[in-house]
Amino acid sequence: MVRKFLVLMMILVVPACTTNVVVEGTVPSPLVVKIPARVGVYYSEDFRNFRYQEAIRDAGTWNIDLGAQNLSFFRNLTSALFTSVQEVREPPLTTEEMRDLDGIMIPYIEKYGFLTPSISGLKFYSASIEYRIVLYNKTGKKIGDWNIVGYGKSEGGMFTGDEAINEATVLAIRDGGARIAIELIDQPAVQAWLRREAGQPEVTAEAE
Amino acid sequence: MSRLISLILAFALTGCASSRIEQVREASTGIKQDEAMVLLGRASYNEKQTEESFTECIADALNEGENPIRLIPEEQFKDDLYPWFEPRTAPTSADELGRLFAQPGVQQRINDANVRYLAWIDGDTVTIDSGGSMSCTISTFGGGCFGVSYWEEDASYQASIWDLQTLTSTGQISADATGTSYLAGLVLPIPILARPGNAACKGLATQLRAFIVGES
Repeated sequence: MVRKFLVLMMILVVPACTTNVVVEGTVPSPLVVKIPARVGVYYSEDFRNFRYQEAIRDAGTWNIDLGAQNLSFFRNLTSALFTSVQEVREPPLTTEEMRDLDGIMIPYIEKYGFLTPSISGLKFYSASIEYRIVLYNKTGKKIGDWNIVGYGKSEGGMFTGDEAINEATVLAIRDGGARIAIELIDQPAVQAWLRREAGQPEVTAEAE
Repeated sequence: MSRLISLILAFALTGCASSRIEQVREASTGIKQDEAMVLLGRASYNEKQTEESFTECIADALNEGENPIRLIPEEQFKDDLYPWFEPRTAPTSADELGRLFAQPGVQQRINDANVRYLAWIDGDTVTIDSGGSMSCTISTFGGGCFGVSYWEEDASYQASIWDLQTLTSTGQISADATGTSYLAGLVLPIPILARPGNAACKGLATQLRAFIVGES
């Protein structure tokens, strides 16, 4: 009898200590000028299935699965960002595979983190995500890499903790995506790459 | 008799909130029946952010009445114009609208939705003072709460209204409300809530409606 009671208690108590969040949200298409390039995008398995786990004192263990939402968001983002996009295998690609491509883009998730009101002392749940975007040209030479951090926060009062973390994470992905959509085209290395691809002469730093 | 008691109780349990509304008009306004407005809550990445419930409260108030103002939902507007109205990319002043509208597709999307006005709602409600004490006990013979606790809240919000047709700022309306809420323990805990946020919302919404239709 005591044993059954203990098993029942374990079943009731253990799940309460772990919060599982599968991040879901809207995936808007960016309204930006397309970068005039045909790009292959490689999404690694780590990127596709990104999960974050953290054990927080007094708040239990959090399992946050943001891979699917992040992948869906990036597919939409890159489609709107470049003239044409195709998903490719892990680089380096052969000359034949690069025939219809001007470059390769590889996104990484470098860091993800979140704060609950009990940790931050604020009224909000917040999340941050750091992306690294690496671009290679047609010959496989690195054009540049950029680290972009997205932030999101959500009011705790209207949601349960897992809903608020979901909302904050979706907003962090949106924020990071917004920075990529707006700022990538203005990067000097990207501009130089586009000029080279268009067959225009290189502009030196002095001329600029 | 019981209705009278309920009515007296309802009034007695609502605390007082005093509010002040101020308006600055920079240009004349007016809205046609087919034109729309969008309310956007200002979000920043510090410890403050306009509560979603506050912008929803204003939207509800503007949707009511004989001549409701057509509102585009905030989420829909932000999704349609992504990435230009995200917390770190949104224009911070009406002077930036020209640059934003030069982006391909932005003006077209706004014209398609026939959005005439954009109102940025900025502010929050904070607890500025609290005190008192109340304790609750429970035992096999029963239980109860005794004592009084109170907290004073200050709700301070501002609406900045931009005309998306002329790409200018048309004015600002500010609403400030303060109120003290009490929780009295007389065996049962009895809350007497002032709700200054609600008072600021109602005041701001009424003034915003009059401002947009050009009555004030």
